[in-house]
Amino acid sequence: MEAIIPHLIAQNIWQLPEANRTVYATLVVLGAFVLVLGLIPVLQALPPRGRRAIVVTVTFLAGLLFAAEFFLPVDWRAIFPKDDPTRNFLTPAIQPAQNVLQTIGALALGLGTYGLVRLHLRNVVQRRTQWGYSVVLLIAFLTMATFSIANTLAERQLLKLEGTPQRVLERGFTILFDYTLVQLDAAMFSLIAFYIFSAAYRAFRIRSIEASILMFTAMVVMIGVVPLGAYISYQLLGLPQGPAPEGAGLGTQILHSIDLPDIANWILFTLNAPAQRAIEFGVGIGGLAMAIRLWLSLERGVT
Amino acid sequence: MKVDALFEWMATGSRCGWAAYQHAQDNWFAAIMIGLIVTAVLVNIFRARAGKQLYIRRIPGLDAIDEAIGRSTELGRPVTMITGLTAFGVVAVQALTIFKYITKQIARFATPMRLLTGDPTVFAVAQEAISDAYNEAGRPDLYDPDNVRFLSDRQFAFASGVAGLIQRERVAANFMFGEFFAESLIFAETGNMVGAIQIAGTVSFTQVPFFVAACDYTIIGDEFYATSAYLSREPVLLGSLVGQDIAKFLFALTAVTGVIASSIVGTKHPFIKLLGQPGGWSEFVNFLLGGK
Repeated sequence: MEAIIPHLIAQNIWQLPEANRTVYATLVVLGAFVLVLGLIPVLQALPPRGRRAIVVTVTFLAGLLFAAEFFLPVDWRAIFPKDDPTRNFLTPAIQPAQNVLQTIGALALGLGTYGLVRLHLRNVVQRRTQWGYSVVLLIAFLTMATFSIANTLAERQLLKLEGTPQRVLERGFTILFDYTLVQLDAAMFSLIAFYIFSAAYRAFRIRSIEASILMFTAMVVMIGVVPLGAYISYQLLGLPQGPAPEGAGLGTQILHSIDLPDIANWILFTLNAPAQRAIEFGVGIGGLAMAIRLWLSLERGVT
Repeated sequence: MKVDALFEWMATGSRCGWAAYQHAQDNWFAAIMIGLIVTAVLVNIFRARAGKQLYIRRIPGLDAIDEAIGRSTELGRPVTMITGLTAFGVVAVQALTIFKYITKQIARFATPMRLLTGDPTVFAVAQEAISDAYNEAGRPDLYDPDNVRFLSDRQFAFASGVAGLIQRERVAANFMFGEFFAESLIFAETGNMVGAIQIAGTVSFTQVPFFVAACDYTIIGDEFYATSAYLSREPVLLGSLVGQDIAKFLFALTAVTGVIASSIVGTKHPFIKLLGQPGGWSEFVNFLLGGK
């Protein structure tokens, strides 16, 4: 008992011991498989109400872990003098819990990929409209997956390749990833510049008072944050640069603050930033309310 | 050796320091605020469940959903619903709740639909949600699993997939709800080019200007979370919405108090630190007890 308490308050209660780690890890993985395989028939055999009860309980317990970890005090040195004051006993469980979420996400990736491949295989087999695109997708998918998986395994020393196969793998991966995928991404990204022009043209058309204010404000900000704003203010209009000197009169103070860069900054940081923060507050509160409804299984939308 | 390397690789992700985690003890004031918000939300949910009539203001963008579906039905062209790259979480659940409502409307008129997502977990849940929507609308025969598509989890591969689909199928209505990044304008402008009615709602405030410029209606900020309450008028959701409004009032009150107090006593005063800085609670308690 004496040995258990220091171990419980030690940092690694949620991690496997270093000695025989491989054995423990294998046992944990096998145990998880048995649990999941056993759980599926149990869940299927249960009536919907019983299944819902299990889901509600698991959801509540999972949420409770994160809530309790946040609210429990971290400094327990008054009771356990040797304890780490930067975390409570639940803190080390947070990362493993997040790893579980990642694992579920990884399983879902397989499901998503299966759905994608099934759809395009069906397009090809049934010769649906534009089935040629599906052929391109399937070939690209297979080639990229093969090279990518092989390359990752080789990097992790899990696949030993030497000579020509190694060079083919490295060169092939570079061509597919660096010279094709990354470039295609960049091409798509660069399209946004053109879309911004067409969207801005529609947004800035002066149709109403609001659109006129938007147009005027946008022009001031756009000119104010580029060197042209400084050129117009200081060279053409001859406005004084920098803050007004101590004890300057009202006229001087006004002259020092009506240059375009200052006005643009004022619009960005005094008008725009508080509005954005207000939106963020609203979004945060909305997210919190939604999280509470999900945690307590009060949300009936898709759950 | 290979097995050891595999375990080493698997273990890398779980090594993380926990000093960076935030806790209630950092500033109990924040924890008290969270407690008040949760109480406000829960109390109003139970009030609404008990039959209290709650008011919700009109949101034009949401009233236009039926109009957009009607137009798609008349033209016989599909409706697209895009979750973006939203990872599975509260935003995705909210987006899917909205899409479920839209699908129920679509099912009544047998309008074709496509739900496009860039997250595999969202894809798995979306398939179930859309299938449920057709069942609840009494048209399970119309559900085709191929209409819910995971395109890619790579940002611009997903963007090109969506843009291509919108162009090829000449969609008549395009709904974008979720979390969006730089790809938002690609979707919205492509939809605009094919003449689709577009309604977007996002929590990503940096993308709001793009949607405002390119879409017919935009749902901004916390209106996104009000959408399901607005569409379904379910007591739980309406009550939660009233709780959110009380929470917003609490935040506004804190901000105004902070502004007035910092103007009077300065920003270094323990009371100001209490309102939003780590360690502010202990400093304020010390100040109250007569310490410095």
